[in-house]
Amino acid sequence: MSAVTATIAEGEMDARTKPAVPDEGARLGFRLTLPAQILVLFISAFPLLMQLYISVTDWSPLSGVGWWNAWEMWNSFANYTDLAADTRFWSALQRTAIVMLVCVPAEFLLGLALATLFADDFPGKRVFYSILLMPMMVVPAVAGYMFFMLFQSGGPVNDILARIIGTPVTIAWLSDPTLALIAVMIADIWQWTPLMFLILLAGLVGVPEDQMKAATLLGANPWQRFTTIVLPKMKTIIIIALAIRVIENFKIFDTLYIMTGGGPGVATETISVYIYKVTTQDLIWGYVAAIALAILIVLSIVAVYAMKRMAKAREVPA
Amino acid sequence: MKRSVPFEIFRYAAIFAAMAVTLVPILWMVSMAFKPIGEWSATGADLTWWPKQPTLANFEFVFGHSTNDLIVALDHTALKPILSSLLSAVFGTAIAMSAGTAAAYGLSRFGSGQNLPLALIQLRLFPPMAVMIPVMIMWAFLNLNDTWWGLALIYGIVTLPFAFWLMKTFFDDMPREIEEAALVEGCSRLRVFTRITLPMMRAPLASAALFVFILNWSDYLIALLLTTREWVTIPVYMASLSSSMTGQLYGAKAALGLIAAVPPVIMGIAIQRHLVRGLTFGALKQ
Repeated sequence: MSAVTATIAEGEMDARTKPAVPDEGARLGFRLTLPAQILVLFISAFPLLMQLYISVTDWSPLSGVGWWNAWEMWNSFANYTDLAADTRFWSALQRTAIVMLVCVPAEFLLGLALATLFADDFPGKRVFYSILLMPMMVVPAVAGYMFFMLFQSGGPVNDILARIIGTPVTIAWLSDPTLALIAVMIADIWQWTPLMFLILLAGLVGVPEDQMKAATLLGANPWQRFTTIVLPKMKTIIIIALAIRVIENFKIFDTLYIMTGGGPGVATETISVYIYKVTTQDLIWGYVAAIALAILIVLSIVAVYAMKRMAKAREVPA
Repeated sequence: MKRSVPFEIFRYAAIFAAMAVTLVPILWMVSMAFKPIGEWSATGADLTWWPKQPTLANFEFVFGHSTNDLIVALDHTALKPILSSLLSAVFGTAIAMSAGTAAAYGLSRFGSGQNLPLALIQLRLFPPMAVMIPVMIMWAFLNLNDTWWGLALIYGIVTLPFAFWLMKTFFDDMPREIEEAALVEGCSRLRVFTRITLPMMRAPLASAALFVFILNWSDYLIALLLTTREWVTIPVYMASLSSSMTGQLYGAKAALGLIAAVPPVIMGIAIQRHLVRGLTFGALKQ
């Protein structure tokens, strides 16, 4: 077989790979991973360098020179010092944090409560389960439009409130700074509680039944069983679920932008909306590149941490 | 475990409350899609929960048959945006799935591409907004702006992490005896992969592809930045369905929203079993 000669020719490479993997496999493996490697490189290395380059200039698509000539507009890190002083950026970041600190815990607690209710079998479970998962499959932009309609002053939310209190309600939800923020958070919680429910239920089902029975026999009440057996067993899963939602919630854009466009004023302007507006309206792309890079660096640190957690979770037998 | 009667009552009450909250927004859109223009936006007392005179006029309107009630003429119908969404999502899924499946097999069986798992997770963590400037410049340079194939390429890259991770866990779980037997029989490794492994993995491949398709179909932000006129996708087109004369075209938007929402919901229910695995990058299996 030709594999023999290849082994001699590539003796060095063979020493590095595991003995169980002959070089035919190594070469095929290399070829199979090549397209993915090229795509990753195509979207990371070159764009990052370009971003780094543009971020130290005043370049904009309207400046009349190609991006490669952006050095003519070198502004000696002014973008980064501007960023530090940009109150609109910092308040967008703060708003993103507020949305996250309200939405993620709310989604977690609601999802956990629902998952607890679904832990054992009961009639109708499968149908209820499918229905409750539906929001997360609705296209976020469409969900944004649904909630845009719901929160109109003549819309169903006010109608329900009116039926409860008995007098007509005409709250202009999306034109009030505070209420608009609450409305977009409600939409996010509606859409993503099912995800928490789904993941937490998968974790809850993995809690061993016999331990629960033993604890019951020993006289532990449901709350004690929950805090001493269920929660510790689910620790990693809870961390994964929270990590996913924190990451995705940080990017919040679609629903929110369709509901309010970041308004009224800047009342619901989160970091993605802010970058979007600066990109498409102000067109100062050099500055946007600086913001984007700053965010990417912070998130890379988070990425490594989350990755380690997930690798750890995979070692735990399911 | 036997539960008490009060608990069962509480459970059903809680679940029905949750289902009401879940369904009201969806049903409101469904109802709106079939309402004639007179019932679209009533104020206070005469708010219509269910269409009094159900009509298909909204659907006809977005597909270009003008109705007497709506004076506005559409710039172009919803047909092309639907086509754009479909083409970009299908081909984006094809790109992600072929590159992802091949790479997942390469890593799972031969240990190649050890950098990919972390690199791809990082790719997913970044907000698309934070890498869009270079992408917009590159896409303009490659003449990919405002084309469905340009969208398909970026979708393929954006969803590659999911395709890769899903397929990797499927390959990791798959027993290797059959592959090994074929190797002993003298099959080349490539033949084993294409003729034995892939056909055996048809069901997981289909689930992963549906999962990736849902993600691509759901995009709004990328299409908003990369398409302007010719190949706008459904969500971008939807936003244009309002005019200074009529204000928000509620019914038309709801009709289109319904068209956009149905495929992923059906597919999502079909692959329910694999949702946890897909959403947690394979960290959790159900």
